[in-house]
Amino acid sequence: MDKTVRININRESYELELEPNQTLLDLLREQLGMTGTKKGCEIGACGACTVIIDGEPALSCMTLALRCRGKEVITIEGMAENGRLHPLQEMAIEHGAVQCGYCTPGWLLSAKVLLDNNPSPTLDEVRSAISGNICRCTGYQKIEESILAAAGRSLPAPAPEGESSPRV
Amino acid sequence: MLNDKGITLIETADTLEALEIVGKSPQRADARDKVRGSAVYLEDMKVNNMLCGKVLRSRYPHARILSIDASAAEKLPGVRGVVTGAELPFLHGESLVDEPFLARDKVRYTGEAVAAVAALDEATAEEALELITVQYQELPPLFDVMEAAKPGAPLVHEALASYQHAPGINPIHGTNICNHFKLRRGDIEEGFAQSDCVFEDTFTTPMQQHCSLEPHGSICLMNHDDKLTLWTNNDSPHRCRKEIASALKIPLTNVRIITAPNIGGNFGGKGGLKAEASAAALAWKIRNRPIKVMYTREEEFCSSIGRHPSVTRIKTGVRKDGTIVARQVETYLDSGAYAEKGPTVARFCGLSAAGPYKIPHVKVDVYCVYTNKTVAGAMRGYGGPQGAWAYESQMDVIAAKLGLDPLELRLRHAYDEGDIHITGQQIYSEGLKECIEKVAENMEWSRPRPEGRGRGIACMERAVKTPFGSAAFVKVNEDGTVDILSSTTEVGQGSETVLRQIAAEELGVRLEQVRKAAPDTAYTPFDSSTTSSRSTFHMGNAVKMAVADAKSQILKLAAPLLEANVDDLRIKDGNVHPQGQPERALPIAKVLQRHYGPSGTVLGRGYYIPEMPAESEEYYSRFMVHWLVGACGAEVEVNRKTGQIKVLKIWGAYDAGKAIHPVNCEGQIQGGIAIGLGLALSEEVMSKDGAVMNPSFLSYKVPTALDVPQIVPIIVEHPHPDGPFGAKGMGETTNVPVPPAIANAIYDAVGVRIHNLPVTPDKVLEVLKLKAQEQAGSRAPSPRRPAAPGRGK
Repeated sequence: MDKTVRININRESYELELEPNQTLLDLLREQLGMTGTKKGCEIGACGACTVIIDGEPALSCMTLALRCRGKEVITIEGMAENGRLHPLQEMAIEHGAVQCGYCTPGWLLSAKVLLDNNPSPTLDEVRSAISGNICRCTGYQKIEESILAAAGRSLPAPAPEGESSPRV
Repeated sequence: MLNDKGITLIETADTLEALEIVGKSPQRADARDKVRGSAVYLEDMKVNNMLCGKVLRSRYPHARILSIDASAAEKLPGVRGVVTGAELPFLHGESLVDEPFLARDKVRYTGEAVAAVAALDEATAEEALELITVQYQELPPLFDVMEAAKPGAPLVHEALASYQHAPGINPIHGTNICNHFKLRRGDIEEGFAQSDCVFEDTFTTPMQQHCSLEPHGSICLMNHDDKLTLWTNNDSPHRCRKEIASALKIPLTNVRIITAPNIGGNFGGKGGLKAEASAAALAWKIRNRPIKVMYTREEEFCSSIGRHPSVTRIKTGVRKDGTIVARQVETYLDSGAYAEKGPTVARFCGLSAAGPYKIPHVKVDVYCVYTNKTVAGAMRGYGGPQGAWAYESQMDVIAAKLGLDPLELRLRHAYDEGDIHITGQQIYSEGLKECIEKVAENMEWSRPRPEGRGRGIACMERAVKTPFGSAAFVKVNEDGTVDILSSTTEVGQGSETVLRQIAAEELGVRLEQVRKAAPDTAYTPFDSSTTSSRSTFHMGNAVKMAVADAKSQILKLAAPLLEANVDDLRIKDGNVHPQGQPERALPIAKVLQRHYGPSGTVLGRGYYIPEMPAESEEYYSRFMVHWLVGACGAEVEVNRKTGQIKVLKIWGAYDAGKAIHPVNCEGQIQGGIAIGLGLALSEEVMSKDGAVMNPSFLSYKVPTALDVPQIVPIIVEHPHPDGPFGAKGMGETTNVPVPPAIANAIYDAVGVRIHNLPVTPDKVLEVLKLKAQEQAGSRAPSPRRPAAPGRGK
């Protein structure tokens, strides 16, 4: 059986020999040396390995590489185009949304899919979009601020006097 | 030069005013690589000819190893070696040396390393593990910390008496207690005799896991000359070097620790030897081949460390007017199978176990106890969350019983400048009251909340490990740029940026001209550790001193060139100029070039160790170079039908001394509070018969973006006379007061006091039900009736 598979990764075409049990995460990190996609749990529970497949966020540790035949994959290495950072990346830096950085590629790609489909999301939509990406450093607030800023929006105004301001 | 409080004076208030880089929030240098996915972590590193190491782990909590047969594994094609504990007659440990690299003679917890395999690839290594046969004889296990602490309990470590330990650690031979920390002030019995009410409560906390997104990992290479190189994501390279060299009985500088360029989270979890030990064990046997051991997430939960589970009995004597006269605290920390950082955790827990309060009569006993469970160690604020859960919960129990305002009760007892701490130390540069007041003000403490909602407040204090040193070099290069050589690790906390800011400010160059590389013990000088919120203060001082040294050399070189006195020269934006004559500026690069031609360089050095009062101990002093303080407020809504707790908003105020990078400080506050929120409501490593039942993010619930409410970060600045530009550490304070603040808010909302973390809906429902039954039986039911003090849920 011909195991050669063509996958488009970060706008470049690859012809690859793949093992049937090989995950996309393994293909990216071990075979192609694209280590920007992070390995955090290998059971699809932390979101650090998030990539975009045909416009949808996907957990590369739970995706067989063979199933990406003919698809377009975007990883963190492909988020900046022509050397220019994506506004989400710029805002992440500006808003202090990056600490240890291990979860950063994952949530940036989750947020990219959100903004690609919904250019001006609400805070709730932002939180929902990154709820599969665990961050242990930031408490999420600066991440959310940075995503809203990239979408040209700011955090909702403080709640009126005398009323607490739950964010849901 | 010591002042009358025993503090060295470096900084004066007027120099703080003209700061240009310190106190701003420039972009982090590491952020660009991190958003591009080009930041390199240990997980991403490969060394030529590298083998993959995997570890066989014990399935028993306590068992004698009768035999290990690895012959089939060794014969598997692709396997390059198998190592077992019998081949490594060594122990390691930071303050108490008790842990083998691989289990020897017996296993002490489920998940302990028993043997390790090195193979050409991961699949082969895993397959080889299956081929190793171990015969065990089960021994009676100890899972309950209170049972384990009793005299006559079966021993987890029969040889405790023979273990080496640091001064100040007090193991009780013939028991499972690996450290007993004691603190006495006044006369506790006299204190209780003077009290009108005595409150006695028991509070418990579970094991919390660090959940750093990057697991532990190391690559170890050892040659036939006993030279060992370790690439690692360990948080403290020099401490790691010492621990490995001492354990393997090889010269200290035979060991070279190279820190990965980036570390994916730490929170105290990446000290000690974890993957380091397994990689070193393999490298000890299989020489001249680099071997990489990377933990899986399951190993993170079962075989690294977590926060000590604890049981605290707290007894407090109070006068009718609310004056606290006596407090007795007895805490049992479940260390699991090995001491790890436990003895130090016990010490720090004990130093602050009575809370940051003026109390004349205090008696504290903290026991760090071996059991046959997952090992506990350092985790953010270590010892602090366990202590604060007890003393801050009980403060509200007292306030409710005596009809006092919990805020007022805290403010009345909180330490002030000049007060004497229970350790005997005079309090200085303490922003505690301001933290409490700022939280109260921001959360509008007195504002009435609707039915079902409540607000709570809690504060905290924690020691900073003292007295330990930090050293730094700076190189001023021929182009005028600066390299900082420092062994502080960047684990996400932003120390790289903070140290660069301090250097740039001190020298008078732009931030972009200053770099800091990751540590390598072959080049970067000594630093005791990147822990305990000590780096900004200690390493910040070392870097500042090194820069000042380099600067004075540059000015001496510049003086003849600018025909000015050294004292009249200033440096701004990388240009040297006589004061008041910026037009006569000479770039640093030019100064070096004029003197040295193309060979220009200047080297500065700095070493900081706090100057201690004469009577203080050399190791683990009770005099703290500073205390970490802060306060937290929470507003919650509790559903009486489901017990569901919704945290609506959290406020946190913490004393940074001087915020070198305010946005970083906010990040430390928000991130720490999220970790505190997890401990408060959802995080608990659960075990059954010693085996971890929830070793994944699917069953261990770390807060997600949907769980964390709005967090209002408040930075309080009480400059430290000895800190770089007045700065103190603050990262380890931020999670500590969160669980009691939330629990106090729950009490305020529905009158339910939970004593055992995490506060889950089932626990709330159970107490609500009990209360309803009580009220049905009593004549005058009241929804806000304060619970009687006492033991229980």
